[in-house]
Amino acid sequence: MTDSDTKAFFGAGVEENIDALYSVALRLTRKDADAEDLVAEAVTKAWSAIDSLDDRERFRPWLFRILHNTFISDYRKQSVRPQEASYNAGECDDDDLVTLLNEQSDDFLVWWSNPEREFFNDLLGEQLLDALDQLPEAFRTVVILVNVEGFTYDETAEVLGIAPGTVRSRMKRGRTLLQKALWQQRPAPERCNT
Amino acid sequence: MSHDIGCLRAIEAFYAYLDGELEDPAAIADFEHHLEHCRSCFSRIEFEKALNERMRRTAKHESPDALRKRVGKLMDKF
Repeated sequence: MTDSDTKAFFGAGVEENIDALYSVALRLTRKDADAEDLVAEAVTKAWSAIDSLDDRERFRPWLFRILHNTFISDYRKQSVRPQEASYNAGECDDDDLVTLLNEQSDDFLVWWSNPEREFFNDLLGEQLLDALDQLPEAFRTVVILVNVEGFTYDETAEVLGIAPGTVRSRMKRGRTLLQKALWQQRPAPERCNT
Repeated sequence: MSHDIGCLRAIEAFYAYLDGELEDPAAIADFEHHLEHCRSCFSRIEFEKALNERMRRTAKHESPDALRKRVGKLMDKF
């Protein structure tokens, strides 16, 4: 393949994924300007490393892996919130969902087992984004890649350089933590004052 | 023939099922058989599906024009 073919392939691949790159970058950095910088930097690094892409069918996970690695090396330190700093995602690698649920409060479990039908009517987009942004990075990244961008567990493992089983565990805990955050954001039930 | 796997096993399979990661046809059949007979797990799966859909609509963003132009300029330099 000629250099111009390679450049055309790369350009088409970036164009196809630019919205997804930006969406993931935005959830990683939580800042518009940083997300744009991160995408631009990742695209530059990806082009420099294009010869390392052995299988062009794997372009998408390869590109997002470079985005994620660029985030870790250049942006992570400034985007970590204090409550996340001490969280060790590796501690949860053997989680099963029943065990996770058993760790939760009774009030949350009652809601989890029978959430209100009107829940989504009251849920604002910004509340959902806020709940996503509250997740520790290890879980936020997995939930965004799988649930928002449609990566498989194997592709997500490739992007993050972790085992597929770890993706599975992080999905369970990430989704549980997300729903807990949404549950905590719910408006308090109206009280009867009479 | 499918048999009822019970709520605990169904709960463990929730996300694999939703994310298309439950590959064994027999496991899928068992899971769906349970959903047909368990109102609670059925409601929960419907909730999870709705949450996924809401997340996709909310967290997918169009890249700003400025970023597209910036990347276009980078591509010109490559």
